[in-house]
Parts: sequence; structure tokens; C-alpha cells
Amino acid sequence: MEKNITLAHGAGGKQTSMLIDEVFKTHFSNPLLTADDAAILQIDSGKIAFSTDGFIVSPFEFPGGNIGKLSICGTVNDLACMGAKPLYLTCAFVIEEGFPLTILEKIASSMEKTAKETGVKIVAGDTKVAGKGQIDNIFITTSGVGQLAEGISLSGSKACVGDAVIVTGDIGRHGCSILLSREDFGIETSIKSDCAPLWGAVEKMLEVTKTLHVIRDATRGGVGTVLYEIANQSNVGICLDSKEIPVSGEVAGVCGMLGLEPLYLACEGRLVVFAPMDEAEQIVKTLRQLPYSKEAAVIGEVTSEMPGRVVMKTEIGAKTLLPEPGGELLPRIC
Amino acid sequence: MKTACIENKKMSAKEIIESYKGKPLRIMEVCGTHTHEIFRLGIRNILPDTIKLISGPGCPVCVTPVGFIDESLMLALEHRAVICTFGDLLRVPGSKMSLADSRQKGASIKMVYSPVDALSYAKEHPDKEIVFLSVGFETTTPASCLAVKKAKADGIKNFSLLVANKTMPEAYKILKNSADAFLYPGHVDAIAGTSVCESLVKEGVSGVVTGFTANELLTALAVAIKLSEKGKPFFKNCYPRVVKSEGNIPAQELVNETMESCDSEWRGLGKIKKSGLKLRADYKDFDARTRFNLPKIPGKSNPACRCGDILQGKCKPTECGLFGKICNPQHPVGACMVSNEGACSAYYQYGGNL
Ligand code: SF4
Repeated sequence: MEKNITLAHGAGGKQTSMLIDEVFKTHFSNPLLTADDAAILQIDSGKIAFSTDGFIVSPFEFPGGNIGKLSICGTVNDLACMGAKPLYLTCAFVIEEGFPLTILEKIASSMEKTAKETGVKIVAGDTKVAGKGQIDNIFITTSGVGQLAEGISLSGSKACVGDAVIVTGDIGRHGCSILLSREDFGIETSIKSDCAPLWGAVEKMLEVTKTLHVIRDATRGGVGTVLYEIANQSNVGICLDSKEIPVSGEVAGVCGMLGLEPLYLACEGRLVVFAPMDEAEQIVKTLRQLPYSKEAAVIGEVTSEMPGRVVMKTEIGAKTLLPEPGGELLPRIC
Repeated sequence: MKTACIENKKMSAKEIIESYKGKPLRIMEVCGTHTHEIFRLGIRNILPDTIKLISGPGCPVCVTPVGFIDESLMLALEHRAVICTFGDLLRVPGSKMSLADSRQKGASIKMVYSPVDALSYAKEHPDKEIVFLSVGFETTTPASCLAVKKAKADGIKNFSLLVANKTMPEAYKILKNSADAFLYPGHVDAIAGTSVCESLVKEGVSGVVTGFTANELLTALAVAIKLSEKGKPFFKNCYPRVVKSEGNIPAQELVNETMESCDSEWRGLGKIKKSGLKLRADYKDFDARTRFNLPKIPGKSNPACRCGDILQGKCKPTECGLFGKICNPQHPVGACMVSNEGACSAYYQYGGNL
């Protein structure tokens, strides 16, 4: 097989079959993934959740993951946030002509590993090749269905006054690692993306309580953006306690140097959970026993004051607004 | 960490501030990073009514005059130079547009994180003219000087600086009636040393050198309050961990070698004698104004914008008619709304006094 992707790999002929056989089938194979036009799936009675997401990330490999892992985690986590057990995924690739096959292989292998870990099957796929320069290396779109657990109804509009606000781990690592690998700030760190599949965490939370109100993954825009979304959707105020917010020392250091707010850095493996305060301790205890949520913490509570706004109790015990999301992340001058 | 300044006092710095009942005090933080941190920490919200904090002219973006943006636009649009700049300057309104807007008109504007990055870009693109927009105070100036020195040593012919660097001491004198005490910026004094601020005491200017953490800010404020109560002009270095009286001598020498003092225009404050820097004659080939023979551009700011009054503590951002209505961080009218460190932006983002 050739070393790089060519236009012929996307033309539907012999080379397309070779690519599918040698890269995708090797990694994604399961009885439901066939050569037919669509996958036929058995769904139990009840409700399903259905979601889709496109992934463009530069660089496509970053400390702690790559675009393949990201594309599985993204859709798996979207389903998990609705309380649905992810079952089936489809994935569509758009690959730039000249893209190295060894890297494609690596991406597919990460996807396999992440899908296996979550117990989700890739049941259909598509590959297109775009001419050199038409796209930036590789785009992946994944769609997925999940089975909703009985009696579960989660929504961003369900946050109630008195709820605890929980994050499932230290924040901002994905955004920070991408920013550092994209721009040369001359800063050496060992920060790795938090990219991770989180159905396991949601499943365990649902085992200990049925009264979860909201779960949302803090992807683009970070935890701060999610909190503003929920405050608006549920028309409540949120009060955070800055000293409870888990941020790794390295992320805090980089943010300090570049003038960034960790609450606005993207995460790809962190959930924001709203649940009644008296359940919070049990939830956090459960989360801390799991691999991707060892740093879970209650970071604040829902209040009736200033609906739609997020207030922060700062380290000196004063209160200020958390600035609303928006604008580019512009590192400041001094 | 408490500094030596209040070690033997029983009350914490925060308690000293909260319980102050003396005569009204106006304290000016002159540094943009201080402004931002003070808002972020909510320090204004624990002050008694008698203490007023004023955000002074220490945000380099906020004091950069409209004319400077117009000069950069002329370089980008008429002389087709590639403009390299810190991100904060991109959205500062010029007379007609901002640098960000000029991209649609074909200007080539590149965001960099240091002047040395701009120099590297110039080396990689010998066919293009690269101009770095050199703004900032004592802290940032040495990096520009280093870039220009390297450019000269390496014989680079397509790199120049549009210089609007400023120095603080003369501004303190101009502003001395606007505040009872200054919180001097720790990182400026780390470079410049404290002798200038110390000698300002003779002219009746009071202040304390201040660090950047919550404790350092609270401590410096408490010290300023305590010393003000004595009624005499004062100086105290509350950031001795980093700031030494002689400053950073190699950095000072580097600046001296490449730049010299000149009069400078401050947005909102007008022209202040000897408050700016320009490249020395030896480096005139690297001065974009000489190189492109730029005319004097006066620059027109929006007359309704009250940045100038705000920088002098004459009014609060919320007293500007445009605040939050026409002017917000997405559509800034004045420079104080552009930079994260500007008073208007900080007021807008952190909700003023909650
Ligand atoms: S609110 Fe806008 S227009 Fe008003 S003073 Fe501030 S920057 Fe200028």
C-alpha cells in the first residue's frame, strides 16, 4: 500500500476498498459493520438519544490524544450528558490528499481503543479525499445513538435553586495543551489534554442517584461558558467558590503568564453536573473513585440571586461577576 | 505571604482596609495588570466608602493614541508593510477603523507574542517589509530593544519598529493631584528600580510598590492607608522579593543603548514631556517613521468617549454615556474598553461594584 492518501483512495474503486479493508475494517470490525449501504440495528423499547458532532482540530495530534480519540469522546460524551448509554456510532472522514497513512492508522487505532473502552460499536462509515490545500489535514464527523435509562430526564433548563454545581475534574487542560502546541510561547510544560470518554462516570452517578438535574460537557468555551448557558436556560443565579475550583498547578501557571481564565479553556473530558446539595457528597465520592474524575469537586451552588449571572466568591472572600464568555482568547501584552 | 511592612500588626491587611474610618482617600493603581487583578479579586467590593480606587494610565493599550493606530494603518494599507503586533492592539479603534477591520481592506496584520517573533518572521520573509508595533512601559520595552539590536547585528534590512513606548515617572507627576497615593506597578519597578519613585516623595507624590497576588495587593493597600494617616508624603517598597532599588541594570543599559527619551502623546492625558522613548540616531534605519517617511497624523477619537477623565479618576466608566450601550468589549469605542486591563472593560466584565 502507498504511504500517503491519494485522490484515488476516495474515488470508490479498488484503492478505496483497500483503504477500508486495511485501515478501517482492521480497527473497527464488528458484526454490525458490513459492506452494505446502512447498518441494521436492534434497539430495545424505550427512548434513544441521537447526536452528531464534527471535529476539526489543529494540531490533529496533541499531548494526551488525537483527533480520532476526540471524535469518539465528543459524541459519546454528548450522549452521556443526556443520561444515554452510547451504543452505536458512525464516522465520516474527510482526508487531505497527501495525508500520511501511518498517521491515519494511528488515528483509527485510537478510535478503536476509545470505542472499546466505552462499549460503543462503530457501525457505518464514509471516507472522502479532498485535494491538497482544500482542507487542513483531516476532519472527522461522528454521529451516535444511545439508549436512555428508564426514568431519566436531564436538561440544561432543570437547574434548581439549592443545587450543587459539581465538576468532574481539574479544568482547562485540553484548551491549554492545544494552545501550547499551536503557538510557540516558549513555555515547556507536561500538560496533557483531559480528552476522555465519560459514559462510565455518568453510569456510576446514575447508580447512586436518580435526581441529577443537569449534566453538560464543558467543551468549547469551557466550564464558564457552560455555567452561563445553564444560568440562562434555567433562569437561576450561580455562585462559585473560586478556591474550590480544581485547576492543576501547571494550567494555573500558564494561565497566569498568558492572562487567561482557566474557566474559559476548553475541556474534552470534564462534565458539569447539577444535583441537589444533599446528594453532592455521595456523587463526588463516587466520581473520585473513577479514572477520569479523581479531582471531582463541588465548586458552587445555584441561587435565586441575579438570574442568568455567574457570581464568583474570590480568594479574598469578596464577590464579583465571572466575566461573560465571548471574544477571542487574546494573550495580553504584559 | 505578608511582607515586612505590616508583620507586627495584629490586624490582617484586609481588616485594616475594611475598618478604615479616616478621611477620604484616593488611591490610584497605575498598572493595567493591577486593575485587572483588583477587579478579578473583587477588592473594590470590600472597600469602605471613604476609599476610592482609581484605575490610572498604566494599561499600554489604553494610553496609545488614536494617531498611532492611524500610523500603523497607513503602513499596512499604503506602504503594504506586514504589521506584527500584540493581540490587544488589534481592536483598538483608529480614526476610521481598527487594525482588525483593515484586514478586510487587504492589510496584512500578524499577531505575535514578542518582538523577537516579529524579527524571526522578517528573516523568513526577506521580500516583505515587517513593522512591529512597539508599545508598552518599562517592562516590555527591553524586548523591543533586544529585537532591534539583533536586527542590526544580523544586518536585517526589512524590519522596523513603530515606537510608542512610554515611561511612567513623568505621568506620576502630572497625575499627582488626581490621587493621594499610587500603587506603583511591581514589574515596572523591577526593571526601572525604585530611586525615581523614592525621589518623587520630595515633590509630594506618595506611593507603595505593589506585587500581583491577592495578599500582595491587600498588603500594599493596607500599608498605603496606614502611611496616609500620618499625613506626610511617603514611599514604601512592599514588593521587595522582586523589586530592588537599583532595578535590572542590564535591561536599563539595553534600553539606553538603543532608545532615548522624548515627549509623548498619551490618549486621554495629552502630550507629556519626556514621558516616551524613541530609537536613537544609530538605529534610525529601524525606525518605521523615518523609513517610510510618515507624516504627522493627529488622529481623532470619539468625542463622547471619556477615557481621559476615567484615567484621571474624574469619572467612573458607568458615568460615560456610551458605556454598555454603544460601547462594550465586542464593539469598543475607546481603548479603555478594548484591553482586558482597561478600566471600562474591567467594569463591564466584572459588573462594577456588585
Ligand atoms: S465606555 Fe467606551 S466610550 Fe465610554 S469612556 Fe469607556 S471606552 Fe470610552
